[in-house]
Parts: sequence; C-alpha cells; structure tokens
Amino acid sequence: MGKTTGFLEYNRETPLPKEAKERIKDYKEFYLKLNEEKLNQQAARCMDCGIPFCHHGCPLGNNIPDFNDKVYTQDWLGAYEMLTSTNNFPEFTGRICPAPCEVSCVLALDEAPTAIEFIEKSIVEKAFELGLVKAQPPQFRTGKRVAVIGSGPAGLAAADQLNKAGHWVIVFERADQIGGLLRYGIPDFKVEKYIIDRRVNLMKEEGVAFKTNAYIGIDIPAQQLASDFDAVVLCGGSTIPRDLPIHGRDFKGVHYAMDFLTRQNRIIAGLPAGDEALTAKDKNVVVIGGGDTGADCVGTSNRQGAKSITQIELLEKPPLTRTKDNPWPNWSNILRTSSSHVEGCDRMWSAVTKEFIGDEKGNLTGIRIADIKWVKRPNEPDTFVEIKDTERIIPCELALLAIGFMHPQRAGLLHDLAVNLDKRGNIVAPKYKTNIHKVFTAGDMHRGQSLVVWAISEGREAAREVDKFLMGHSFLESKDSSLVDVV
Amino acid sequence: MKENEINMVPKHLEYDACGIGFVAHLKGNKTHKVVDDAITMLENMQHRGGTGYEPNTGDGAGILLQVPHEFCAEECKRLGLTLPDFGGYGTGLIFFPQDIEHRKKVKQAFAALCEKFGFDLIGFRKVPTINTALGDIAKALEPCIEQVFVKENSYLHDLGTFERRLFVLRRYSNPYIRKTIPEAGSYFYINSLSYKTIVYKGQLNADQLRGYYPDLSDSHFKSALAMVHSRFSTNTFPNWKLAQPFRFIAHNGEINTIRGNINWMKSYESLFRSSLFTKEEIENILPLLDENQSDSSNLDKVVELLLLGGRSLPHVMMMLIPEAWENDNEMQDPKKAFYEYHSSLMEPWDGPASICFTDGKMIGACLDRNGLRPSRYCITDDDFIIMSSETGALPVDPTKVVVKGRLEPGKIFIADLEQGRIISDEELKKEICSRKPYREWLTQNSVAIEDLPDPTHLIYEPNPETLLQRQQAFGFSYEDLKVILSPMMTTGHEPIGSMGHDSPIAILSKQSHHLTNYFKQQFAQVSNPPMDSIRERNVMALFSSVGKTLDILSEKPTHCILIEFKQPVLTNQYLERIRSVMHPNFRTKVIDTIFPANSEPGTLEIALNKICQDAEAAIRFGSYNILIFSDRKANKDFAPIPSILVMGAIQQHLIDNGMRVRCGIIIEAGDVREVHHFATLIGYGANAINPYMAFESITALRKNNLIDDKITDEQAIKNYINAIDEGLLKVFAKMGISTLRSYHGSQIFEIVGLSSKVVKKCFTGTVSRIEGLDFNGIAKEVLIRQRLAYEQKPTEINRLLVGGLYSWKRKGETHLLSPDTVSLLQQAVRNSDYKTYKKYTEKINNQRDHLFTLRGLLEFKDRKPILLEEVEPVEKIFRRFATGAMSFGSISYEAHSTIAVAMNRIGGKSNSGEGGEDEARFDRKPNGDWERSAIKQVASGRFGVSIHYLANADELQIKIAQGAKPGEGGQLPGYKVDEWIARVRNSTPGVGLISPPPHHDIYSIEDLKQLIFDLRNANPKARISVKLVSEYGVGTIAAGVAKAHADAILVSGFDGGTGASPVSSIRHAGLPWEMGISEAHQTLVANNLRSRVVLQADGQLRTGRDIAIAALLGAEEWGVATGALISLGCIMMRKCHSNTCPVGVATQDVNLRKKFSGKPEHVINFVRFLAEDLREVMAQLGFHTVDEMIGQADVLKVRENIGNWKAASLNLAPIISKYPAAHNVGLYKQIDQEKELGDVLDVTLIEISKDAIESGTKVKGEFNIRNVNRATGTMLSYHIAKKYGKNGLPDDTIHIKLNGSAGQSFGAFGANGMTLELEGDANDYFGKGLSGARIIVYPDKRAKFIPSENALIGNVAFYGGIKGEAYIRGMAGQRYCVRNSGVTTVVEGVGAHCCEYMTGGIAVILGITGKNFAAGMSGGIAYVNDIDGNFESRCNMGTILLEQLEDSDKVKLKELITNHLNYTGSDVAQNMLADWDNAVKKFVKVMPIDYKAALKKLLIVNG
Repeated sequence: MGKTTGFLEYNRETPLPKEAKERIKDYKEFYLKLNEEKLNQQAARCMDCGIPFCHHGCPLGNNIPDFNDKVYTQDWLGAYEMLTSTNNFPEFTGRICPAPCEVSCVLALDEAPTAIEFIEKSIVEKAFELGLVKAQPPQFRTGKRVAVIGSGPAGLAAADQLNKAGHWVIVFERADQIGGLLRYGIPDFKVEKYIIDRRVNLMKEEGVAFKTNAYIGIDIPAQQLASDFDAVVLCGGSTIPRDLPIHGRDFKGVHYAMDFLTRQNRIIAGLPAGDEALTAKDKNVVVIGGGDTGADCVGTSNRQGAKSITQIELLEKPPLTRTKDNPWPNWSNILRTSSSHVEGCDRMWSAVTKEFIGDEKGNLTGIRIADIKWVKRPNEPDTFVEIKDTERIIPCELALLAIGFMHPQRAGLLHDLAVNLDKRGNIVAPKYKTNIHKVFTAGDMHRGQSLVVWAISEGREAAREVDKFLMGHSFLESKDSSLVDVV
Repeated sequence: MKENEINMVPKHLEYDACGIGFVAHLKGNKTHKVVDDAITMLENMQHRGGTGYEPNTGDGAGILLQVPHEFCAEECKRLGLTLPDFGGYGTGLIFFPQDIEHRKKVKQAFAALCEKFGFDLIGFRKVPTINTALGDIAKALEPCIEQVFVKENSYLHDLGTFERRLFVLRRYSNPYIRKTIPEAGSYFYINSLSYKTIVYKGQLNADQLRGYYPDLSDSHFKSALAMVHSRFSTNTFPNWKLAQPFRFIAHNGEINTIRGNINWMKSYESLFRSSLFTKEEIENILPLLDENQSDSSNLDKVVELLLLGGRSLPHVMMMLIPEAWENDNEMQDPKKAFYEYHSSLMEPWDGPASICFTDGKMIGACLDRNGLRPSRYCITDDDFIIMSSETGALPVDPTKVVVKGRLEPGKIFIADLEQGRIISDEELKKEICSRKPYREWLTQNSVAIEDLPDPTHLIYEPNPETLLQRQQAFGFSYEDLKVILSPMMTTGHEPIGSMGHDSPIAILSKQSHHLTNYFKQQFAQVSNPPMDSIRERNVMALFSSVGKTLDILSEKPTHCILIEFKQPVLTNQYLERIRSVMHPNFRTKVIDTIFPANSEPGTLEIALNKICQDAEAAIRFGSYNILIFSDRKANKDFAPIPSILVMGAIQQHLIDNGMRVRCGIIIEAGDVREVHHFATLIGYGANAINPYMAFESITALRKNNLIDDKITDEQAIKNYINAIDEGLLKVFAKMGISTLRSYHGSQIFEIVGLSSKVVKKCFTGTVSRIEGLDFNGIAKEVLIRQRLAYEQKPTEINRLLVGGLYSWKRKGETHLLSPDTVSLLQQAVRNSDYKTYKKYTEKINNQRDHLFTLRGLLEFKDRKPILLEEVEPVEKIFRRFATGAMSFGSISYEAHSTIAVAMNRIGGKSNSGEGGEDEARFDRKPNGDWERSAIKQVASGRFGVSIHYLANADELQIKIAQGAKPGEGGQLPGYKVDEWIARVRNSTPGVGLISPPPHHDIYSIEDLKQLIFDLRNANPKARISVKLVSEYGVGTIAAGVAKAHADAILVSGFDGGTGASPVSSIRHAGLPWEMGISEAHQTLVANNLRSRVVLQADGQLRTGRDIAIAALLGAEEWGVATGALISLGCIMMRKCHSNTCPVGVATQDVNLRKKFSGKPEHVINFVRFLAEDLREVMAQLGFHTVDEMIGQADVLKVRENIGNWKAASLNLAPIISKYPAAHNVGLYKQIDQEKELGDVLDVTLIEISKDAIESGTKVKGEFNIRNVNRATGTMLSYHIAKKYGKNGLPDDTIHIKLNGSAGQSFGAFGANGMTLELEGDANDYFGKGLSGARIIVYPDKRAKFIPSENALIGNVAFYGGIKGEAYIRGMAGQRYCVRNSGVTTVVEGVGAHCCEYMTGGIAVILGITGKNFAAGMSGGIAYVNDIDGNFESRCNMGTILLEQLEDSDKVKLKELITNHLNYTGSDVAQNMLADWDNAVKKFVKVMPIDYKAALKKLLIVNG
C-alpha cells in the first residue's frame, strides 16, 4: 500500500471550483486543476483497509484501495487497468457519481473521506492524456449478434462488454445522439459532451455499431429485432416522469425538468431545441423536487439568467450529520449542497405544493405552497399534515417538476415484446433475463430510476449473463465472483 | 480402543517427558548400592512423572543394569539350571501373556526361534513381582514376567558377535511372535536380551519399581552402573512396553522429526551391507523401525544397529544428535569435517533430548544442540558418578563431592568403567574425529554449488510476453505480487498481517486453491519447545545437498559425493549449473511434470504414475543421481501438476522401492512462491527448489516500477531468497526443529481436505482425517486456472485476479467478517437491537451459498423442543464467556479496560493478555466498575508477571500458543512502548520487547506441570488454565495438561487471533477449532480425564449457533476476541502492527486513541446476544442447561445437498462422533484437580512468618531442603503480596536459611522483604519472576570442589525477573537471566544464551560465559569478566554494544561484588576486591543499543 500514515499527515483536498459568479457565465465544467503532488497525497490518504468498505459501497465494486495505491506510486497504466477492470466509463462516474464509496470510506467515520471520485477522474483523464486509452477491438469474433436498445450508461456498458466478448453489437437509440440521459439529461457544466463523444468514438473503433433515430417499436418492430439477433438487451431507461396532477398543472410554464434540461443541452450542442419559451431567463423559477435533477435545474436556471430560483422539497430538511438510525457505512441521509445550490437559490423543505396559479392567459404566475409536518408511525409509511396558517403563494413563471421517474415506457417496445413487468412497472428479470427468450435487460428499465454508476453496473452484469447465454460460459468479469471459482 | 473407530482421538501418538539419570562406579566396582541409589534417585523424581485419573497407575518406570551374574547364577542354581560363566549366556526379562495356554504357546514359539537362530534355551525363571501397589489399569494389562537364559549351541563366538546374534534373535522374535500368535502376541515383549545388560521396567510409578520387583532389593543383585527412567506421558493408553529404559538409552525429550527419520531409515535399509552381519541376519532385522512405536524406542533401535554395526557408542550419538556445527566458527576443523561428512549419511534426529546411554561398559549422557533439557551430575571422592535431571535427586554426602557439573548443549559426557575414568567431550570427540581423514574425503568428493562451472547459456530466458498467462496458470494473484512478493523483494523479510484468518479453508472455498493450502503446518506445543530462529540462529541450519547416499553401516570416502547448497532455494543460474553438470560423479535427469489439459478423468493420476516410473528407471537403469522435476514445459495443452503432488508421489514411490536415497531431488516449479510452498516441498523430500516464476515475477515487478527502483534485479532476488530462508527457519523452529536436514522429508503437516487415496499414494503416513479431493478434483482445480490462462478469449484479461485473502475483496475469497457483518454487528450492539443482530447471524450461519467454516456443513438433528423460558437464563450463561487475550500494548488502554469493565459487570472474564496490568486497575472504581482482568495471562515474555499481578487474578492462563501464529514468539515494536506500557511491563519506553517462541520454563510436559504448580503456589485461589492451539495431537496434549493438574484447557482455532504475525503463519499453521475441540474432548473422555478440566474453545466464534456447536463438540466455555473488538468499533483494518488503527482500538497513538468510541454496553450487548441466541438453539434442541449439552456431538449431523463439490467430498463423521464412554465417565468438569499444596515447604514457612505477615516483625528460620521441595518461597510471597501489594515488606523482614539441594523454581516470584539463603545447590527456574526478594546461594561449606568451576544452580534462572537481587557462589546453567527485567544478580559463571531477551536489571558474571550471550537483549546491563579475552566471540552482537566501564559502572560493580563477598563468602569476589584495579580492567559492559538510546533520551527529557 501507499503510505501507512498518509491519512494522519494530509487533509482531504479536492479541486476548487471557479467562483460561482464566474462559472455561471457559461456551461463549461468549472473545476480547477490540482497539481499531481497533491493528487498523490490524496491517494496516500487511503488506508488500504482490511475491509475496504468503499469497495463494498461502490455499486460497480471498484477496487479502490488498489488503484489508490497505484496512483500513489504513479503507476498510471496500472491504475487505469485496475479502474477499468470494474468500470467501463470512469470519465462519467468520476464527474457525476454521488460517490457512495466516499460515504462508506473508513475515514468518513469521523473525518473527511479519501477523495476517491476525484482520484478516479484523475486516473482516466491522465490515461487519456498519456494516450493509454486505445481502442482494443476483440481479437476474434464469435459471430453472435446482439442488439442493445438504448444508449444510456447501461446500454453503453452492456455494449462495451459484449463487444469485448467478441459479439457483434448494435446499439439502437431513438434520439438523434448517443448517450441517453448522459447526453440530454445531465447539464454540460457537469459533463461536457465531448466526453461522451470521445468514448463513443472509441467504442466505434472497437467495432460497436450505433444506430440513432432508431425507435424500436416504432421505426423497427420489436419482434423483428428479437428474430434478427441472437440476443437483445433492453436498456431503455426509466423514462416516464412523475407528474404533479394538481390544480393548474396545465398552465403554461409548468414543465418537466427533463424537457428543460434537454433543451439547454441541445442548444449548447447546436441542435434544434424547440420551445423557445422554455427558459428561465428573467423568470421566477420554482424547482419542485429536491434531488439531483432539481439541482441541475437550479444550475441551468442560474446560467440562463433567472430572476429568482426556489427549490421545494416535500421531505424534511435532512440533518447535517448522521443520525443514530443511519449509521456508517450506509448511505448517509444528510443535507447535501451541490455546486448548483451554491450558485444561488432558496431551498425549502417540508413544503407541499398545493396549486399552480395562473393568469387568464393560462400563464403560470405563482405557486401555492404550505408547510407540513411529517408524522412517523411504526410499521406504517410516514404521512404528513399541513401546518395551519402557513399557506402562501410564491411568484413563479417557470415551474420545473423534478420529482423523479415512474417506470419505463410501456407502449411500443415493452408492450410488443410482452415482457413481464413488476408492480412498479419495471421489467422483471432475475439475473437480467426477461421472460422472453434471449431478451435481457439492464439499467433503469430493470432496476427503476437510479444512478449512472448503477446503470453501468447493470450493463456489465447483464452482458456477462448474455455472454453465458450465448457461449455457455463467460470470461467477462462480474463484480462479485471470481474467474477461478470452481462452483 | 479399536483402531478402526471413527473419531478424532489420535492414534499411536504420545508425548513423553521424563526424569532420567544414572549412578555408576567409575572403577567398575559392582555393588548393590549402585542399584539401590539409582532407585532412590528415581523415587525422588516422582514429581517429574505422571499419573492419569488413577493416581496409582503410572506412565512407566524402569532401570537398566549390568547383568548381575552372581545373582543369576544363584537363582539358576535354585531352579536347577546350569548357567555358563559371565559372557557365556544371554539373558533378559520377557513379558508373556498371563493366560497359561497363551503363555505356553508363546514360549514354545520362542523356544523354536532360539533353536532356529542357533541358541540353546537354558531355561526360564519366573521373575517375582508384587503388584499390590499397582492401580487397576496397570494390573489389568500386567504381563507375566519371566527371565530367559540362552547360550549358543554350536561354538562360542567372540562376545561382540554373540551380542549381535542375540540382537538378531530378539529383533526377529518380537514381530514374528506378535504376527504368528495374534491372540497373545501383543503381550510378548523382550525387554532386553544381552550378555551385558538387563532391563527391569513396567507401567509403574517411579516409587513402585522397587516394590514391584523384589529382585532389585536383593543384596546379591549387583551392578557397577544403573540407568533409570520415569515417564510422564501425555496420554494414558496403558502399555507396559512403552516404559523406558530401552536396551541402550533412556531418553528425556522428543524427536520431532521421527516421521522423516523413519522414512529415511526405510530408504537406507535397502543399502545395508555389513561385514559384521550376514546378509540373512540383516534381512531378519528389517524393517528396523516401527512407526507405531515411540520416537525414543525407534531411536534406541537405530543406536543399537549402528553400535552393533561397528561404531562406538559416542560415535553413534554424534552421528544421530550432532552439535550445532554449521555456523560455529570456533569449531576445530576435524570435528566440523566429521559432522559434515556424517550429515551426508544421516539426517539429525532432531528435537529436545537429554539422553543417557550405556553399552554396559561405558555409560554416558548427551544433550541436543539446544540443550533444552536439564542434566546435572556430580562425582564423589569415592568414584561414584551420579547423573540426573535434577541435582539432589540422590542425596550425597556433601563432604564427598569433588565435581558438580551439568551437561552442555551438544556435549557428550562419558564414564568408561573399563578404563576407570571420565572422558571429556573434547578428548572423546578429538579421538573420534581423527579416526578417518574426513576433510580429505569431503574435499575429494563433495562440491559446493558455488564452485560448479556456469552453463554456457541459460536454457530458459524470461519471457515477458507470456508471463501474465503463466502467472494465471500457476495461480498468481495481484495480491500475491503486492502483499507477498513485493515486501519480500524489497525488505528481505516475510510480510506481517493482523486479525486472524476468516476465510474458508481450501476445501471449503469455492475458488481454485494452491494444493499446499490443504496442508497445515504442525507446531510444537507443551511436549517440546518451539525455537527462536532469529535470536538462536546459531543452532539453525539450512544446508542441503544432492547426490547419492550409500550404506550407513559402512564408512567410505565415496559417501560424501554430493553437491552442497548453503540453502535450498536455487537461482536459475544455479539450477542450470546442475542441469548441465559435466562431472564424473553426477548425472542429472529432467523429468517433466505436466499432464494433458483435456479434463478427462484419470489423466492426472496416469501422468503421476508415469513420472514415478520414469524416475525409477532413471535411477535404476540410467545411473542418474540428480533428478529435476520440472513444469517448465507446461503450455496450452499441458497443465502443470501441482509441485507438492509430484514431490509427494515421487518421494513415496522411491521410498517404497528403496531408491529414494540414491538420488537428489530438485523441484523446478512455477507454482512455488510463498514460504509455505517451500516448506511443504522440503517437508515431503525436496532437496532444493527453483521457483522460477517467482523470480520472473519479481523481475517484472521491478521493471513495472512497483517497487523501489534503487533495488537491482540481483538484490531483489537475493532479498526474496533471504525472506524465504528466514520464513523456512521460522517454520522449522515452530516445530522445534533446527536444521533443514532433519525437517527434510519429515512430513510435519496435517492434511485437511484430500482423499485417503491421494494421501496414501503421495503423502503416506501424513495425518488426514476428514477426506476430501481425489486426483480428479485436484486436476479440476488446476484446469480452472489453466483455462483462465490459455483459453483463447476475444479480449485478453490483461491483469491478474485480485486475490482477496489478505483483505476483503468482492471478487476475492469470502470472509466471515465482511462489510455487512461488521456493520450489522456494530449497529446491533450500539442500538441494543437484537433484530439487527439476527440479521448479522443470518449472514454468518447461512452457509448454503458461501461456505466459511466446517461447522457450516453441520446442522442440528430434530429433537423435541422446549419453551425458551425453560432454558437457563443468560445470567447463568455469562460466566462461561471470556474475552480473548489481547495485551495492553497491542490494544489501547481504552479498548482493554472497556472490555474488562464489561466482562466484570456480567460475571464473564476478560483476559489481561501478556502485557501485564496496571495495578491501578486492581481496585474497583467508586462507581463499582472494575477494570481488573479476571484472567491474568502468563506468556513466554512474562511481561509484568509479578507476584502482585498473579495474586490479583481469578484465573491464571498459561499461553502455550496463539491461533494467529502457534509456535512463534512475538514482538512489540519500540514505537508502541510508551512510558505507560513500559511501566506496566517493567521495561524502558521506546525499547522493543520480544516474547520468545517458547516459555523458557516449559520445554516438556513435566515442565508445564511444574509451572502449573508454581502458579498454584503464587495464587492458591486462582484457577489455572492452559491455552493450546488446535492441531493434530492437541487431544494428547490436552490429556497431558489435565494430568499436569490444570483446571481448564483452552483450545483455540488457527483462524482466530488478533495479533500481528507473518502472513504465512496466520493461514498455514493449526486447524479449525471444530477439529481441535472434538479431538481434545474425545481424547479426554477416552482417558476419563474430561471431568477434571474445563474445556474452552475460541477462534472465529461469531454466533449462538457457533457456540452451540462448540458446546456439543465438548467446550463448556467460550472465548470471543475479534467479536468483542468489533463491538467496540474495530473495522478490520488489519493494520494492528502499524500503530495506525483509525478507530483507536489497536494503537497507542494518543490522537488515534481519542477516536475510540466503544462502550462497555457494546461488549455486554454482544455477549448477551450470543447467550440469547444460544438459548434459542438450546430450546430448539431441548436442553435446559449448557452442562446437559456438552459433548453431545451426536445431536449434530452433516448437512445434505452440499452444493460445493469440493466440500461435499469431506467426511466429518470423526468430528461429530460421540466417544463411547462408560456411564460414569463425566463429559464436563465435575471434579476438582489435586492442588498438591498441602505438604509444600511453604506451609511451614508461612507458619513461622505469621508475625512478619501480620505486623512486619522480622523473623528468621532454618530448614533442610530437598529436590522435591519445589517453588520454595512462592506461596509465602503470595501472602505478602496479598497484604502488602506491589512493594511487599521491608527488606529482609523474613530471612530463611535452607540447607540442601533445592527443587525447581526456588524463590519463584519471591516478594519483597523475603531473603532466601541456600547452602547447597539448586535446580532449574531458580528465582523466576523474582518480585523483590533476595536470594543467596553458596555450596555446602564442607564441599571440596571449587565453587566457581562447578554448577550450583540450574537452567533458566531469573526468567522474567522483575525486581530483587541474587548472589550465586558458583556457576549457573543455560539461559541465565533470560528475559530478566529488573533483577540484579552476581554469579561466577554461566552457560549458553545468557541474558537472552533481557530488558532490565543487572547481571554480573565473574567467570566463564557460554555461547550466544545477550541474544535479543534489549535492556539492562551485564558486566562480564572477560577471562580469556574471547568474550566477544561468544556474544550475539545483534542488539548490543560492548563497552568499557565508566567510573559510575565501576562503583556499582564494586558494590555488587562486595555484596557478593559478604553474602556468600566468595573467594573469587575476595580475590578481585583484593586486586580491584587490575580486576576491574578485565570487565566488559554489555549495553543494548536501543536501551542506551532510550536512557539517553530519558536523561535529556529529565534534564
């Protein structure tokens, strides 16, 4: 391991962002560089634990202590290989992962965790910089053909893995660009889109085929796909947004967050962006929903020049530190403040949105909200009651619904294939296998809405099952089993 | 007991340890007095013998004498038999069956044999015996004993030939009659058959011998020599034959290498040629050795053969038990050459041994190279010579004594009764070594590998392109490179790990394992001591060689045609030298060890057979004498056969064919990288090993910058070899073996998880009890790796697998302690949340998908349940829990005291560990909490083990071994020794502390008995327990421990343990507790000893189910250590050895300690949950109390449908067998042990000291003392410490004068205020643990010898001494002041290893010193009179400086010498003081380097 006493000698240090005032002037990534010596020190803080809880906490099973060690000894190739043995796209997760690994880092017991995500990003960017990232097409082909539907992180990971296993892979994407949520859902200031292009180009060089504007179930019949390919992997994501069907929902100015974010990304990409009114400029913006998508809306609104931004969350304000019933190394339910929040917005918790208010033209002018109090009873779901006399109207011309996604779209693909769905509307697929012969699934379509890191994990694990299905066995790695398992 | 019963009780295994001695008249005068005196001596060593549950059944006692011709003649006359003159007949005692018919038959058969072998049977004489004093067990098996007389029926040979012919008759008769008359043959046993000597023995106590054989009391029964033996066996399976002496020797000790010695002898047999024996005679005596008999008995047989084969007795002893010659630079060359030459004939019979031997004309004794057994002698002015394990065993008129001596390591002491003189070791060896020109022979015939010419080219160049692939095929993981190879190549040492091993053993793992992982190293515990391969490196040796061994009965120059290696790891270059050797004496053949990788069943076995045949043919027809077994040719189509499998198969095949010794075997294998891999290969017979893949990996690692680039390839490989060598020495040492040559082929392993077919073919004779993989299974494991490496994949896997053994990895090996289990347990205990605890237990108990433990394969049978309320409450169960021994020092004060408080609150027991305990914790706190540990551990380091510490305990636990590293010592690095710890341990801050591998007062079972006795005296109220580690034979040891009167026995699993230790030890030594507990319980039941002792289990006990299984297998108490630490916040960092524990548990860093967040409640919750959980199991099984369930192993069954095909091949029936015992045999502790305190001398001393203890009044007294008076002053000291605490009484309040020979442990743990003045001499362990008392010894004032040249006290004096002073007018034995931490002493001469591990105090040595002075000494000062100017050459300079005395030193020294004069009347002191200025110039100051630095620092700090 790197340095036994590193954690006693160095404090956590990650790259500083540009000043908020400065960074909201554009949509570029805004973290400054940290020099290599500092990076080295951050890697030295890793304690190489006997039980690396980070490695357990990472949905991909990233072998964190070992790549930290390699960064410490400046073995960039080794670090890159270690990292990519579990993670196809560290350049994505190194930017936008909420880093459950850091939450479960042993140092996080009572001090700042190892800067794992920053190290991860540094490894992959260094690898690109040093030219270590090269297309490595498989040495031979199995002759099997696999269709991956959806080009979000799950689809890309599945495609990348299946290609490595020597299968011919075609990725079908209904949008005009590859990347799914990564492309249109995540703002550029978090992931600049050349990052995705860089990766997609590599995959193309390695032999993965991509078909955009290919809407399976509409453009191409689903059944045909199933008969044309040896296996199909459904990675279409959880695309149906949760609605807020209260009075006034139809007023102009009430939008789904994803529409708002997508439009901005298209503008930056120089693509047709549609509805020009869907902008925050000079408006009072209310973001409904306190999650990451909500925060992305806040950041985008600031950049578009909103007059004011308010973010409303139904749940209670989380505590600043862990509570007794939420101990380490579990995910911590504490107040998180993102860079977008820092750029300016009002945050409200325990607030319910009661009604959208509009003018006679049907334009949104305000939102009626009220404070609530949560009631907890054992063995029952929590409920809330409104606190008397707290109802009030806040001015609002743009309301963005960022309250999550329900399930994948049933119409078309899923309906046509007749795959079994669970109560929540996600695909039932033990070991990633649907009820339909040779049809597999991965990502949010299977798991329900989740993190990019989970999507990659799903894609990888599903790819292994597909490979086993096609070949009888697989040399693709799985996060929880060894290649020298005898049973 | 039937052989074929399925259980864990060890067969044919026993350890004995004994009292031995002889009495002889130097001029050969035959008297009855000699006989009488010898028996008296024997009787006085009764305390060294043992008894079972029946006190009047002994383990065996006997005597060897010259044939008493006068007595025999008279007896024969009375019987009407005509006896020829002395020398004309052979005689001996024979055991016959009691049954008349059987006896008749056996006698007839024997008579026929006499005739067949050309003897006339003169007749039999019924030997009178009186068995009234004997116990029922001894009586039940008592034979009918008759004396036989035979003479030659044709012509009279010379006496030598006559003796040889008697030998052949005896050798042939014993097995022949046993075989041909099976119903009665087992009784038949010829004690001896000789014209010169006769043996009387039986299953007797030492004090029963005289009464049993009236012959011995007959005044006509005369002999000039008498050799006696009293036996303490660790088990009591009765057998009259096992008693000693045998025909030539009486042995006190243990031959650890016996398995290998027997195998090698089997190989030598085919080559026996002798001019003294006919071919037919040789055939009639083979096979010579018998693995079913004891090590001592086999040794006796080899001695006999070599002696009768023409060598002299001392020559034979030098050959079998050589002194440590390998690293001795002072040894004269002829002697070195002798040993070197003989090392090519015979491997050392290694192990602690004090051996008395006689051929009837000369009598002598020798001590093994380590000198771990006491042997004292004295010579009187009327030519009697008395030698025994203890001085004073035969009281001698002090005015007659002219010499008092002791045997020294590796030395031989001989009295030649024909010449009428003592022959000194020097003279004797000089004579023997100059008989032949050994050096010349060696120079002509042997060649060092360094001197062989280089090959013209290396055949195999490294190939970076295929390296990864080959690494994958050979099972290398990333972890192997990172955790194992990198540290080895950079530091030259084996890496250290912490916190035990919580992964499944190989057979339970679902991953493919290295085949050596199925082999568990055995280690020494109790029956013999492990050794210190670092501090006592001078006795260790790694020499190896290849070549051809010839007939051991002859002695020719060609016997040493050998290529010699300094150590067994061959570099590629050296290997090529051998491969391409062009030398008339050597022919090398390479045999490929690969098999077709086609997955067809049987392929591997066929390949193995082919290899064996090829090897045999190469030797037989090709005259090859060096075979290289190589897997270099492994490739895509041919997989490498695991090297250990090849080695085992070839070794057994060649032994069976008598060809093994005709060649040297070198293994060239890619799967060899760790110490354990080398150890197993050597243990199964490899002469040398080339780990080419390890070398290639190292070179590649270096190229990839994974290590410091300042290290060259050459250096990296050198470092690696050094690390392996060190590791090997450690592996040997943990078994108490000193040299590679004796470890070689000794098979000291237990196999866990291979089928009997595999064991039979490849590892014959190795213990393997629960079945496992067959050849196809082994192949399957290999082929998994083969496929990973060679199957063509679209995208290559361009890295090694992660490993996951040394830290938890998702893709790696499974661990009981995972992120889930650790966090669930912590949440449960912090929130008092039993539900979460049950989630945790579900993860551990449910082993359907992942097997962790053997118990995971077991389940409970259906039984009638009872209500939970009917089960005894948790409060009653708490007392059965103990926490593990973790020292204050290894863990923080916070963690240590929190555990103590928790256990005290609920009535369980916490354990101090081996680091002493701050006396501030002895008193309860105002709030009622108590930080005192109920269990005080007594470990080999004896840190802080004072009388005050011992007096403040409920239980004293003797730690023989610990799970993490059984057979090894420990080390607390200097940076962990802060002021507080130093104070508690009586040491110096900043100075590292060493715990030696053995307790230096336990080299054998009778020593343990002594220590138990000492501790009983030191605290008569405390329970005494002994901590062992699970291994084959732990049952036998446990029986011995029970017989040594311990109250409790803890059997630890190999996997537990929190301490830091070499990573190979954590995994490869010892067994799971399931095996150890079942073995211990079953063996104790079989011996009806179980009801005398509490049996405790620990090691990865995690849930109530685990505890229930432990109870059912026999453990009524349980220990938890890791579980307690996890409850307190430990998150398994496994960095305890680095002092960087981030949760404040295992660190002394002030800032990190602040992070400790544990509370007593957490530990209490954990124990409460375990108890509740256990109660649920008890209710399910219908047990009301824990007592009811102890040992009810038949409640368990093996699970069906085991998914893992590897694990499914196991047979756990022996483990869950319930030993069939009579109704009245207790299955748990019910009977108190005999405390033996009623008649100790201290009862009297306490009586006369009443006023002193009560009011501090000065008292004086004078008494006689004998060797049976042991631990004198200890119980008195307990009373002082109880009343006056640490400081005791004022100086000299109690002054006791004693006259005579003091028994062992004189003054042990003596408290402040007591002065013991001894006029006479004393035995071993003198002043151990001295806690403030003063001891004075001087010889009897009437004695004629010169005190400073004679042995006055025994070995291991002042071991672990804390405080006090002592003056000894005379010499001490070995290991004087070992681990002394504060006693000031003056002595007039010492043996080897003086001041070893010393950490404090002062040792003044006025006279001669032995070898290895100050080994591992880290503190204190020694002032040594360098009488011959050669002192430095006898020092171990590893940790010390030799300095000139400063003025302050001189003042101190003078004061001490003046004291010495005043107290003892020493003439040496007087002479020095008379000429002080000159005398002081000769003194040298021995100053430990770290100690000096620490003192300097203290000086600066204190201004």
